[in-house]
Amino acid sequence: MILNGVEIRDTFAEAFPMVGTRLIVTADTPEWALIAGRTTTGFATSVIGCGCEAGIERTLLPEETPDGRPGVSLLIFAMDFGSLKKVVPLRLGQCVLTCPTTACYAGIEGGKRVPLAKTIRYFGDGHQISKKIGDKRFWRVPVMEGEFVCDEDTGSVEGVGGGNFLILARSRGEALKAAEAAVAAMVQVPGIILPFPGGVVRSGSKVGSKYKGLFASSNDAYCPTLRGTVPSQLPAEVGSVLEIVIDGVSFEAVAEATRVGITAVCALGAEAGVVAIDAGNYGGNLGPFHFKLREIMQGAGETA
Amino acid sequence: MSGVSLKPRAPFEARVDLSGLTPEVTCPLPLRELEHLEVPCGGRSVKLAELFFIEGAPDGVLLIEIGDVRLDGVGAGMTKGELIVDGLVGAFAGRGMSGGMLRIGGDAGDFLGSEMSGGRIELAGNAGSHAGAAGSGSRRGLSGGVLAIGGDAGPRAAERQRGGLITIAGAAGEGLATDMIAGTVSVGGAIGPLMGRGMKRGTVFVDAVPELPAGFVDTGTHELVALRLIARRVPELSARLEGWTHARRIVGDTLIGGQGEVLARG
Repeated sequence: MILNGVEIRDTFAEAFPMVGTRLIVTADTPEWALIAGRTTTGFATSVIGCGCEAGIERTLLPEETPDGRPGVSLLIFAMDFGSLKKVVPLRLGQCVLTCPTTACYAGIEGGKRVPLAKTIRYFGDGHQISKKIGDKRFWRVPVMEGEFVCDEDTGSVEGVGGGNFLILARSRGEALKAAEAAVAAMVQVPGIILPFPGGVVRSGSKVGSKYKGLFASSNDAYCPTLRGTVPSQLPAEVGSVLEIVIDGVSFEAVAEATRVGITAVCALGAEAGVVAIDAGNYGGNLGPFHFKLREIMQGAGETA
Repeated sequence: MSGVSLKPRAPFEARVDLSGLTPEVTCPLPLRELEHLEVPCGGRSVKLAELFFIEGAPDGVLLIEIGDVRLDGVGAGMTKGELIVDGLVGAFAGRGMSGGMLRIGGDAGDFLGSEMSGGRIELAGNAGSHAGAAGSGSRRGLSGGVLAIGGDAGPRAAERQRGGLITIAGAAGEGLATDMIAGTVSVGGAIGPLMGRGMKRGTVFVDAVPELPAGFVDTGTHELVALRLIARRVPELSARLEGWTHARRIVGDTLIGGQGEVLARG
Protein backbone atom coordinates (compact mmCIF):
# COMPACT_ATOMS: atom_id res chain seq x y z
CA MET A 1 0.00 0.00 0.00
CA ILE A 2 1.35 3.41 -0.99
CA LEU A 3 -0.15 6.67 0.27
CA ASN A 4 1.19 9.89 -1.22
CA GLY A 5 4.41 8.11 -2.03
CA VAL A 6 4.73 6.62 1.47
CA GLU A 7 4.83 2.83 1.81
CA ILE A 8 2.46 1.40 4.42
CA ARG A 9 4.17 -1.84 5.32
CA ASP A 10 2.13 -5.01 5.61
CA THR A 11 2.58 -5.43 9.35
CA PHE A 12 0.87 -4.68 12.63
CA ALA A 13 1.42 -3.05 15.99
CA GLU A 14 1.14 -5.43 18.89
CA ALA A 15 -0.40 -3.99 22.04
CA PHE A 16 -1.20 -5.14 25.55
CA PRO A 17 -4.02 -4.88 28.06
CA MET A 18 -3.60 -2.11 30.60
CA VAL A 19 -5.80 -0.74 33.33
CA GLY A 20 -6.40 2.97 33.19
CA THR A 21 -8.19 5.84 34.82
CA ARG A 22 -8.99 9.43 34.01
CA LEU A 23 -8.57 12.40 36.34
CA ILE A 24 -10.06 15.83 35.79
CA VAL A 25 -7.79 18.45 37.33
CA THR A 26 -9.00 22.03 37.51
CA ALA A 27 -7.31 25.24 38.59
CA ASP A 28 -7.92 28.97 38.70
CA THR A 29 -6.22 29.45 35.33
CA PRO A 30 -5.55 27.24 32.29
CA GLU A 31 -1.84 27.69 32.93
CA TRP A 32 -1.97 26.26 36.43
CA ALA A 33 -4.19 23.41 35.30
CA LEU A 34 -1.61 22.60 32.66
CA ILE A 35 1.23 22.80 35.17
CA ALA A 36 -0.61 20.35 37.40
CA GLY A 37 -1.30 18.08 34.45
CA ARG A 38 2.27 18.07 33.24
CA THR A 39 3.64 17.48 36.72
CA THR A 40 1.23 14.64 37.42
CA THR A 41 1.98 12.90 34.14
CA GLY A 42 5.72 13.52 34.28
CA PHE A 43 8.15 10.59 34.38
CA ALA A 44 5.43 8.28 33.13
CA THR A 45 6.61 7.26 29.68
CA SER A 46 6.78 3.52 30.18
CA VAL A 47 5.62 1.08 32.83
CA ILE A 48 9.00 -0.62 32.53
CA GLY A 49 10.78 2.16 34.35
CA CYS A 50 8.08 4.48 35.64
CA GLY A 51 5.43 2.17 37.05
CA CYS A 52 2.76 3.74 34.89
CA GLU A 53 2.16 5.52 31.62
CA ALA A 54 0.37 8.84 31.77
CA GLY A 55 -0.40 11.88 29.73
CA ILE A 56 -2.69 14.83 29.22
CA GLU A 57 -5.64 13.67 27.17
CA ARG A 58 -6.84 17.20 26.48
CA THR A 59 -7.43 20.59 28.00
CA LEU A 60 -10.93 21.40 29.27
CA LEU A 61 -12.96 24.58 29.07
CA PRO A 62 -14.56 25.86 32.28
CA GLU A 63 -17.99 24.69 31.17
CA GLU A 64 -16.65 21.15 30.83
CA THR A 65 -15.41 20.77 34.40
CA PRO A 66 -17.23 19.99 37.66
CA ASP A 67 -16.35 23.30 39.32
CA GLY A 68 -16.55 25.57 36.30
CA ARG A 69 -12.85 26.33 36.16
CA PRO A 70 -10.40 25.51 33.39
CA GLY A 71 -8.89 22.08 33.59
CA VAL A 72 -7.11 19.16 32.04
CA SER A 73 -8.10 15.58 31.52
CA LEU A 74 -5.38 13.10 32.44
CA LEU A 75 -5.14 9.42 31.59
CA ILE A 76 -3.00 7.11 33.73
CA PHE A 77 -2.38 3.48 32.80
CA ALA A 78 -0.74 0.63 34.69
CA MET A 79 -0.24 -3.06 33.99
CA ASP A 80 -2.74 -4.17 36.62
CA PHE A 81 -5.32 -2.71 38.96
CA GLY A 82 -3.16 -3.15 42.05
CA SER A 83 -0.43 -1.04 40.50
CA LEU A 84 -2.93 1.60 39.40
CA LYS A 85 -4.29 1.88 42.93
CA LYS A 86 -0.78 2.62 44.14
CA VAL A 87 0.47 5.08 41.53
CA VAL A 88 -2.62 7.27 41.26
CA PRO A 89 -2.79 8.38 44.92
CA LEU A 90 0.97 8.91 44.89
CA ARG A 91 0.83 11.22 41.91
CA LEU A 92 -2.30 12.90 43.23
CA GLY A 93 -0.64 13.59 46.56
CA GLN A 94 2.67 14.78 45.23
CA CYS A 95 1.63 16.61 42.09
CA VAL A 96 -1.99 17.80 42.34
CA LEU A 97 -2.48 18.37 46.06
CA THR A 98 0.72 20.41 46.09
CA CYS A 99 -0.10 22.52 43.04
CA PRO A 100 -1.68 25.94 43.72
CA THR A 101 -5.44 26.35 43.20
CA THR A 102 -6.09 22.83 41.91
CA ALA A 103 -8.97 20.46 42.53
CA CYS A 104 -9.26 16.88 41.32
CA TYR A 105 -12.32 14.94 40.15
CA ALA A 106 -13.15 11.51 38.79
CA GLY A 107 -13.03 11.30 35.02
CA ILE A 108 -14.47 7.79 34.75
CA GLU A 109 -17.51 6.66 36.68
CA GLY A 110 -17.60 2.94 35.89
CA GLY A 111 -15.27 0.08 36.69
CA LYS A 112 -13.27 -0.73 39.79
CA ARG A 113 -12.71 2.23 42.08
CA VAL A 114 -9.32 3.90 42.31
CA PRO A 115 -8.83 5.86 45.53
CA LEU A 116 -8.29 9.61 45.32
CA ALA A 117 -9.22 11.58 48.44
CA LYS A 118 -10.09 8.29 50.04
CA THR A 119 -6.43 8.18 51.01
CA ILE A 120 -5.21 11.73 50.42
CA ARG A 121 -7.78 13.20 52.82
CA TYR A 122 -5.75 12.10 55.81
CA PHE A 123 -3.32 14.87 54.95
CA GLY A 124 -5.95 17.06 56.57
CA ASP A 125 -5.01 15.57 59.93
CA GLY A 126 -8.61 15.31 61.08
CA HIS A 127 -9.66 18.73 59.80
CA GLN A 128 -10.82 17.33 56.45
CA ILE A 129 -14.56 17.46 55.82
CA SER A 130 -16.65 15.78 53.18
CA LYS A 131 -19.76 16.67 51.25
CA LYS A 132 -21.91 14.02 49.63
CA ILE A 133 -23.53 15.26 46.45
CA GLY A 134 -25.83 12.73 44.86
CA ASP A 135 -24.00 9.44 45.01
CA LYS A 136 -20.58 11.02 45.08
CA ARG A 137 -18.53 12.11 48.06
CA PHE A 138 -16.16 15.03 47.76
CA TRP A 139 -13.53 15.89 50.31
CA ARG A 140 -12.29 19.31 51.34
CA VAL A 141 -8.79 19.14 52.73
CA PRO A 142 -7.48 22.30 54.38
CA VAL A 143 -4.14 23.45 52.96
CA MET A 144 -2.08 26.59 53.55
CA GLU A 145 -3.44 28.20 50.40
CA GLY A 146 -7.09 27.43 51.21
CA GLU A 147 -8.79 24.13 50.49
CA PHE A 148 -8.07 21.19 48.23
CA VAL A 149 -11.30 19.74 46.85
CA CYS A 150 -11.14 16.18 45.62
CA ASP A 151 -13.42 13.32 44.63
CA GLU A 152 -13.28 10.37 46.99
CA ASP A 153 -12.38 8.01 44.15
CA THR A 154 -12.53 7.53 40.42
CA GLY A 155 -13.45 4.68 38.14
CA SER A 156 -11.23 2.61 35.92
CA VAL A 157 -11.27 1.02 32.53
CA GLU A 158 -9.55 -1.90 30.87
CA GLY A 159 -7.60 -0.22 28.13
CA VAL A 160 -4.87 -0.85 25.62
CA GLY A 161 -1.20 0.05 25.96
CA GLY A 162 1.59 0.03 23.45
CA GLY A 163 -0.19 0.79 20.21
CA ASN A 164 2.46 2.20 17.91
CA PHE A 165 3.75 3.01 14.48
CA LEU A 166 7.18 3.88 13.14
CA ILE A 167 8.00 6.73 10.79
CA LEU A 168 10.86 5.89 8.45
CA ALA A 169 12.28 9.04 6.86
CA ARG A 170 15.28 10.13 4.85
CA SER A 171 16.72 12.34 7.59
CA ARG A 172 16.35 13.09 11.28
CA GLY A 173 14.79 16.49 10.60
CA GLU A 174 12.25 15.05 8.20
CA ALA A 175 11.36 12.23 10.60
CA LEU A 176 10.84 14.75 13.37
CA LYS A 177 8.61 17.01 11.29
CA ALA A 178 6.50 14.02 10.30
CA ALA A 179 6.26 12.88 13.89
CA GLU A 180 5.24 16.37 15.01
CA ALA A 181 2.51 16.42 12.39
CA ALA A 182 1.27 13.03 13.58
CA VAL A 183 1.21 14.09 17.22
CA ALA A 184 -0.59 17.35 16.43
CA ALA A 185 -3.34 15.38 14.73
CA MET A 186 -3.50 12.50 17.19
CA VAL A 187 -3.93 14.59 20.32
CA GLN A 188 -7.35 15.57 18.99
CA VAL A 189 -8.52 11.95 19.30
CA PRO A 190 -10.43 11.38 22.56
CA GLY A 191 -9.49 8.55 24.88
CA ILE A 192 -5.80 8.27 24.08
CA ILE A 193 -2.46 9.57 25.28
CA LEU A 194 0.98 9.58 23.74
CA PRO A 195 3.07 9.03 26.87
CA PHE A 196 6.57 9.69 25.51
CA PRO A 197 8.30 13.09 25.31
CA GLY A 198 6.27 15.27 22.99
CA GLY A 199 4.45 12.09 22.01
CA VAL A 200 7.52 10.75 20.21
CA VAL A 201 10.02 7.96 20.95
CA ARG A 202 13.45 7.90 19.36
CA SER A 203 14.64 4.83 21.26
CA GLY A 204 12.22 2.15 20.25
CA SER A 205 13.13 -1.13 21.85
CA LYS A 206 13.21 -4.82 21.14
CA VAL A 207 12.57 -7.45 23.77
CA GLY A 208 15.67 -8.71 25.59
CA SER A 209 19.35 -7.85 25.52
CA LYS A 210 22.75 -9.43 25.38
CA TYR A 211 23.20 -8.08 28.90
CA LYS A 212 21.76 -10.15 31.72
CA GLY A 213 18.91 -8.44 33.54
CA LEU A 214 17.90 -6.04 30.78
CA PHE A 215 14.32 -6.61 29.62
CA ALA A 216 14.62 -4.41 26.58
CA SER A 217 17.32 -2.94 24.41
CA SER A 218 17.73 -0.76 21.36
CA ASN A 219 15.71 -1.92 18.38
CA ASP A 220 18.84 -2.47 16.25
CA ALA A 221 16.91 -3.56 13.18
CA TYR A 222 15.64 0.03 12.90
CA CYS A 223 18.87 1.82 13.88
CA PRO A 224 20.19 3.45 10.70
CA THR A 225 23.76 3.59 11.98
CA LEU A 226 23.79 -0.21 12.28
CA ARG A 227 22.52 -0.92 8.78
CA GLY A 228 24.63 -3.64 7.30
CA THR A 229 26.02 -4.79 10.64
CA VAL A 230 22.74 -6.34 11.82
CA PRO A 231 19.67 -7.68 10.01
CA SER A 232 18.07 -4.34 9.15
CA GLN A 233 14.51 -3.30 8.30
CA LEU A 234 15.71 -0.07 6.76
CA PRO A 235 16.23 0.54 3.07
CA ALA A 236 19.25 2.52 2.04
CA GLU A 237 17.44 5.85 1.76
CA VAL A 238 16.17 5.80 5.38
CA GLY A 239 18.35 7.88 7.67
CA SER A 240 16.14 8.18 10.76
CA VAL A 241 13.21 6.44 12.45
CA LEU A 242 10.83 7.80 15.09
CA GLU A 243 8.08 5.94 16.88
CA ILE A 244 4.71 7.08 18.17
CA VAL A 245 3.39 5.03 21.09
CA ILE A 246 -0.32 5.14 21.93
CA ASP A 247 -2.20 4.13 25.08
CA GLY A 248 -5.97 4.32 25.02
CA VAL A 249 -9.14 3.54 26.87
CA SER A 250 -10.23 1.11 24.13
CA PHE A 251 -9.02 -0.74 21.04
CA GLU A 252 -11.15 1.57 18.92
CA ALA A 253 -9.57 4.72 20.35
CA VAL A 254 -6.06 3.45 19.69
CA ALA A 255 -6.98 2.33 16.19
CA GLU A 256 -8.49 5.72 15.42
CA ALA A 257 -5.42 7.51 16.75
CA THR A 258 -3.23 5.28 14.61
CA ARG A 259 -5.28 6.09 11.55
CA VAL A 260 -5.23 9.81 12.25
CA GLY A 261 -1.49 9.85 12.90
CA ILE A 262 -0.52 7.88 9.81
CA THR A 263 -2.87 10.01 7.72
CA ALA A 264 -1.11 13.15 8.95
CA VAL A 265 2.30 11.71 8.13
CA CYS A 266 1.20 10.59 4.70
CA ALA A 267 -0.27 14.01 4.01
CA LEU A 268 3.31 15.28 4.12
CA GLY A 269 4.26 12.44 1.82
CA ALA A 270 7.41 11.31 0.12
CA GLU A 271 8.18 14.88 -0.88
CA ALA A 272 8.72 15.70 2.79
CA GLY A 273 11.14 12.83 3.14
CA VAL A 274 8.85 10.19 4.56
CA VAL A 275 9.73 6.78 3.13
CA ALA A 276 7.54 4.27 4.96
CA ILE A 277 5.31 3.53 7.93
CA ASP A 278 6.11 0.44 9.94
CA ALA A 279 5.03 -0.89 13.33
CA GLY A 280 6.54 -2.71 16.29
CA ASN A 281 5.44 -6.20 17.19
CA TYR A 282 6.73 -9.38 18.74
CA GLY A 283 5.42 -11.79 16.14
CA GLY A 284 1.92 -11.56 17.49
CA ASN A 285 2.53 -13.98 20.32
CA LEU A 286 2.72 -11.61 23.29
CA GLY A 287 0.02 -8.98 22.96
CA PRO A 288 -3.64 -9.75 22.22
CA PHE A 289 -4.31 -6.47 20.41
CA HIS A 290 -3.09 -6.29 16.82
CA PHE A 291 -3.39 -3.05 14.87
CA LYS A 292 -2.91 -4.00 11.24
CA LEU A 293 -1.67 -0.93 9.45
CA ARG A 294 -3.14 -1.67 6.04
CA GLU A 295 -6.54 -2.56 7.49
CA ILE A 296 -6.58 0.62 9.51
CA MET A 297 -5.60 2.72 6.48
CA GLN A 298 -7.96 1.01 4.07
CA GLY A 299 -9.87 3.52 2.01
CA ALA A 300 -7.40 6.28 2.82
CA GLY A 301 -6.43 6.84 -0.80
CA GLU A 302 -4.17 5.55 -3.52
CA THR A 303 -2.69 2.07 -3.36
CA ALA A 304 -0.04 0.30 -5.32
CA MET B 1 -53.53 13.37 35.23
CA SER B 2 -53.94 9.62 35.72
CA GLY B 3 -54.06 8.10 39.17
CA VAL B 4 -56.25 7.91 42.20
CA SER B 5 -57.73 10.96 43.87
CA LEU B 6 -59.04 11.15 47.44
CA LYS B 7 -61.49 13.94 48.28
CA PRO B 8 -62.64 14.28 51.89
CA ARG B 9 -66.35 13.67 52.31
CA ALA B 10 -66.50 16.15 55.23
CA PRO B 11 -64.14 17.89 57.62
CA PHE B 12 -62.41 15.27 59.74
CA GLU B 13 -63.68 14.98 63.28
CA ALA B 14 -60.46 13.40 64.51
CA ARG B 15 -56.90 13.04 63.37
CA VAL B 16 -56.45 10.61 60.50
CA ASP B 17 -53.20 8.70 60.14
CA LEU B 18 -52.42 8.09 56.49
CA SER B 19 -49.00 6.56 57.14
CA GLY B 20 -48.50 3.77 54.68
CA LEU B 21 -51.14 5.02 52.25
CA THR B 22 -48.52 5.58 49.60
CA PRO B 23 -48.61 5.33 45.81
CA GLU B 24 -46.85 1.98 45.85
CA VAL B 25 -49.66 0.63 48.07
CA THR B 26 -52.63 2.28 46.38
CA CYS B 27 -51.64 2.11 42.73
CA PRO B 28 -51.79 -1.68 42.31
CA LEU B 29 -55.17 -1.90 44.07
CA PRO B 30 -58.55 -1.86 42.34
CA LEU B 31 -60.70 1.02 43.58
CA ARG B 32 -63.02 -1.37 45.40
CA GLU B 33 -60.15 -2.76 47.47
CA LEU B 34 -58.85 0.72 48.06
CA GLU B 35 -62.21 1.79 49.45
CA HIS B 36 -62.01 -1.01 52.02
CA LEU B 37 -58.54 -0.13 53.25
CA GLU B 38 -58.68 0.85 56.88
CA VAL B 39 -56.78 3.75 58.38
CA PRO B 40 -56.51 4.87 62.02
CA CYS B 41 -58.85 7.72 62.86
CA GLY B 42 -59.32 9.02 66.38
CA GLY B 43 -58.33 5.77 68.06
CA ARG B 44 -60.32 3.44 65.80
CA SER B 45 -59.97 2.03 62.30
CA VAL B 46 -62.10 3.52 59.58
CA LYS B 47 -62.54 2.43 55.98
CA LEU B 48 -61.01 4.86 53.57
CA ALA B 49 -64.29 5.20 51.70
CA GLU B 50 -65.94 6.53 54.86
CA LEU B 51 -63.54 9.43 54.87
CA PHE B 52 -62.94 10.10 51.18
CA PHE B 53 -64.61 10.05 47.81
CA ILE B 54 -62.24 7.86 45.83
CA GLU B 55 -61.97 8.23 42.08
CA GLY B 56 -59.59 7.55 39.23
CA ALA B 57 -57.56 4.73 37.84
CA PRO B 58 -55.28 2.64 39.97
CA ASP B 59 -52.00 3.83 38.53
CA GLY B 60 -49.92 6.97 38.32
CA VAL B 61 -50.06 9.50 41.12
CA LEU B 62 -52.01 9.57 44.34
CA LEU B 63 -53.81 12.88 44.75
CA ILE B 64 -55.43 14.22 47.91
CA GLU B 65 -57.62 16.95 46.56
CA ILE B 66 -58.24 18.92 49.72
CA GLY B 67 -55.70 18.80 52.48
CA ASP B 68 -56.48 19.05 56.15
CA VAL B 69 -54.43 19.84 59.19
CA ARG B 70 -55.75 16.63 60.74
CA LEU B 71 -54.24 14.45 58.02
CA ASP B 72 -51.12 13.01 59.59
CA GLY B 73 -48.44 10.83 58.07
CA VAL B 74 -49.20 11.81 54.49
CA GLY B 75 -46.61 10.12 52.31
CA ALA B 76 -44.84 8.61 55.30
CA GLY B 77 -42.76 5.65 54.24
CA MET B 78 -42.98 6.40 50.52
CA THR B 79 -40.42 4.56 48.43
CA LYS B 80 -41.51 5.54 44.92
CA GLY B 81 -44.22 7.21 42.91
CA GLU B 82 -45.81 10.60 43.40
CA LEU B 83 -48.23 11.89 45.99
CA ILE B 84 -49.78 15.31 45.64
CA VAL B 85 -51.75 17.16 48.30
CA ASP B 86 -53.78 20.11 47.14
CA GLY B 87 -53.69 21.92 50.46
CA LEU B 88 -52.23 21.55 53.92
CA VAL B 89 -51.28 18.48 55.91
CA GLY B 90 -50.79 17.61 59.54
CA ALA B 91 -47.80 16.10 61.28
CA PHE B 92 -45.28 13.52 60.07
CA ALA B 93 -45.79 14.09 56.34
CA GLY B 94 -43.11 12.25 54.41
CA ARG B 95 -41.67 10.75 57.56
CA GLY B 96 -39.18 8.02 56.78
CA MET B 97 -39.50 8.48 53.01
CA SER B 98 -36.84 6.70 51.01
CA GLY B 99 -37.93 7.57 47.50
CA GLY B 100 -40.58 9.17 45.32
CA MET B 101 -42.01 12.66 45.28
CA LEU B 102 -44.34 14.29 47.79
CA ARG B 103 -45.79 17.66 46.80
CA ILE B 104 -47.79 19.63 49.33
CA GLY B 105 -49.60 22.73 48.17
CA GLY B 106 -50.10 24.32 51.59
CA ASP B 107 -48.54 24.23 55.02
CA ALA B 108 -47.31 21.15 56.87
CA GLY B 109 -47.35 20.27 60.54
CA ASP B 110 -44.51 19.08 62.73
CA PHE B 111 -41.89 16.53 61.73
CA LEU B 112 -42.22 17.05 58.00
CA GLY B 113 -39.70 14.75 56.31
CA SER B 114 -38.35 13.60 59.62
CA GLU B 115 -35.93 10.72 59.25
CA MET B 116 -36.36 10.62 55.47
CA SER B 117 -33.51 8.93 53.65
CA GLY B 118 -34.36 9.57 50.03
CA GLY B 119 -36.84 11.02 47.59
CA ARG B 120 -38.06 14.56 47.48
CA ILE B 121 -40.58 16.66 49.36
CA GLU B 122 -41.72 19.98 47.96
CA LEU B 123 -43.74 22.07 50.39
CA ALA B 124 -45.27 25.29 49.08
CA GLY B 125 -46.10 26.76 52.47
CA ASN B 126 -44.66 26.78 55.96
CA ALA B 127 -43.46 23.80 57.96
CA GLY B 128 -44.05 23.19 61.65
CA SER B 129 -41.37 22.22 64.09
CA HIS B 130 -38.70 19.56 63.52
CA ALA B 131 -38.74 19.58 59.72
CA GLY B 132 -36.16 17.08 58.53
CA ALA B 133 -35.32 16.33 62.13
CA ALA B 134 -35.07 13.17 64.15
CA GLY B 135 -38.28 11.84 65.58
CA SER B 136 -38.77 11.56 69.31
CA GLY B 137 -36.26 9.07 70.65
CA SER B 138 -34.53 8.72 67.31
CA ARG B 139 -30.82 9.37 66.87
CA ARG B 140 -30.84 10.80 63.39
CA GLY B 141 -32.92 13.07 61.25
CA LEU B 142 -33.03 13.41 57.51
CA SER B 143 -30.19 11.39 56.03
CA GLY B 144 -30.82 11.64 52.31
CA GLY B 145 -33.05 13.13 49.65
CA VAL B 146 -34.29 16.70 49.34
CA LEU B 147 -36.72 18.57 51.56
CA ALA B 148 -37.64 21.87 49.92
CA ILE B 149 -39.71 24.25 52.05
CA GLY B 150 -41.21 27.15 50.16
CA GLY B 151 -42.06 29.21 53.25
CA ASP B 152 -40.76 29.30 56.80
CA ALA B 153 -39.66 26.40 58.96
CA GLY B 154 -40.56 26.14 62.63
CA PRO B 155 -38.23 25.39 65.51
CA ARG B 156 -35.62 22.64 65.44
CA ALA B 157 -35.50 22.10 61.71
CA ALA B 158 -32.63 19.82 60.68
CA GLU B 159 -32.08 18.64 64.22
CA ARG B 160 -29.70 15.66 64.04
CA GLN B 161 -29.78 15.80 60.25
CA ARG B 162 -27.28 13.29 58.93
CA GLY B 163 -27.18 13.91 55.18
CA GLY B 164 -29.23 15.11 52.25
CA LEU B 165 -30.44 18.63 51.64
CA ILE B 166 -33.00 20.90 53.29
CA THR B 167 -33.80 24.21 51.64
CA ILE B 168 -35.89 26.77 53.49
CA ALA B 169 -36.87 29.69 51.31
CA GLY B 170 -38.10 31.74 54.25
CA ALA B 171 -37.05 31.98 57.86
CA ALA B 172 -35.99 29.22 60.21
CA GLY B 173 -37.12 29.00 63.82
CA GLU B 174 -34.98 28.55 66.88
CA GLY B 175 -32.60 25.66 67.28
CA LEU B 176 -31.95 25.16 63.57
CA ALA B 177 -29.42 22.35 62.93
CA THR B 178 -29.12 21.45 66.60
CA ASP B 179 -26.87 18.40 66.96
CA MET B 180 -26.55 18.26 63.15
CA ILE B 181 -24.38 15.32 62.08
CA ALA B 182 -23.93 15.94 58.33
CA GLY B 183 -25.73 17.19 55.26
CA THR B 184 -26.63 20.59 53.92
CA VAL B 185 -29.19 23.23 54.86
CA SER B 186 -29.93 26.45 53.04
CA VAL B 187 -31.97 29.21 54.66
CA GLY B 188 -33.15 32.21 52.69
CA GLY B 189 -34.59 34.25 55.52
CA ALA B 190 -33.93 35.09 59.15
CA ILE B 191 -32.55 32.52 61.56
CA GLY B 192 -33.93 32.01 65.04
CA PRO B 193 -31.80 31.87 68.18
CA LEU B 194 -29.73 28.95 69.41
CA MET B 195 -28.81 27.70 65.98
CA GLY B 196 -26.26 24.91 65.63
CA ARG B 197 -25.76 23.94 69.25
CA GLY B 198 -24.00 20.56 69.29
CA MET B 199 -23.41 20.65 65.53
CA LYS B 200 -20.85 18.00 64.55
CA ARG B 201 -20.52 18.38 60.80
CA GLY B 202 -22.59 19.60 57.90
CA THR B 203 -23.08 22.92 56.15
CA VAL B 204 -25.68 25.64 56.63
CA PHE B 205 -25.90 28.37 53.99
CA VAL B 206 -27.25 31.68 55.24
CA ASP B 207 -27.50 35.19 53.87
CA ALA B 208 -26.25 36.90 57.00
CA VAL B 209 -24.37 35.48 59.94
CA PRO B 210 -26.92 34.67 62.65
CA GLU B 211 -26.45 34.72 66.39
CA LEU B 212 -24.57 31.53 67.18
CA PRO B 213 -23.66 29.68 70.38
CA ALA B 214 -20.32 30.32 72.02
CA GLY B 215 -18.80 27.21 70.45
CA PHE B 216 -18.78 28.72 66.96
CA VAL B 217 -15.58 30.33 65.66
CA ASP B 218 -15.41 32.83 62.82
CA THR B 219 -12.53 31.76 60.54
CA GLY B 220 -12.96 34.74 58.25
CA THR B 221 -13.90 35.08 54.61
CA HIS B 222 -12.41 32.61 52.13
CA GLU B 223 -12.48 31.76 48.47
CA LEU B 224 -13.88 28.23 48.37
CA VAL B 225 -13.79 26.00 45.29
CA ALA B 226 -16.41 23.84 46.98
CA LEU B 227 -18.95 26.65 46.47
CA ARG B 228 -18.50 26.41 42.71
CA LEU B 229 -18.79 22.64 42.83
CA ILE B 230 -21.98 22.67 44.90
CA ALA B 231 -23.52 25.40 42.74
CA ARG B 232 -22.98 23.29 39.64
CA ARG B 233 -23.82 19.90 41.10
CA VAL B 234 -26.83 20.69 43.29
CA PRO B 235 -29.65 22.16 41.19
CA GLU B 236 -31.58 23.24 44.29
CA LEU B 237 -28.70 25.49 45.30
CA SER B 238 -27.46 26.71 41.94
CA ALA B 239 -29.53 29.90 41.99
CA ARG B 240 -28.76 30.50 45.64
CA LEU B 241 -25.01 30.15 45.18
CA GLU B 242 -24.75 31.79 41.80
CA GLY B 243 -21.83 34.15 41.87
CA TRP B 244 -20.63 32.98 45.28
CA THR B 245 -16.89 32.60 45.16
CA HIS B 246 -16.17 33.70 48.72
CA ALA B 247 -17.89 32.83 51.95
CA ARG B 248 -17.54 33.80 55.55
CA ARG B 249 -16.95 30.51 57.33
CA ILE B 250 -18.01 30.01 60.93
CA VAL B 251 -17.07 26.62 62.35
CA GLY B 252 -18.69 24.80 65.25
CA ASP B 253 -19.81 23.57 67.61
CA THR B 254 -16.20 23.48 68.83
CA LEU B 255 -17.37 22.91 72.40
CA ILE B 256 -18.03 19.31 71.40
CA GLY B 257 -15.21 19.13 68.82
CA GLY B 258 -17.66 19.77 66.00
CA GLN B 259 -16.58 20.75 62.51
CA GLY B 260 -19.89 21.95 61.16
CA GLU B 261 -19.87 25.15 59.19
CA VAL B 262 -22.13 28.12 58.66
CA LEU B 263 -21.36 29.77 55.34
CA ALA B 264 -22.54 33.30 54.66
CA ARG B 265 -21.90 35.08 51.40
CA GLY B 266 -18.54 36.78 51.64
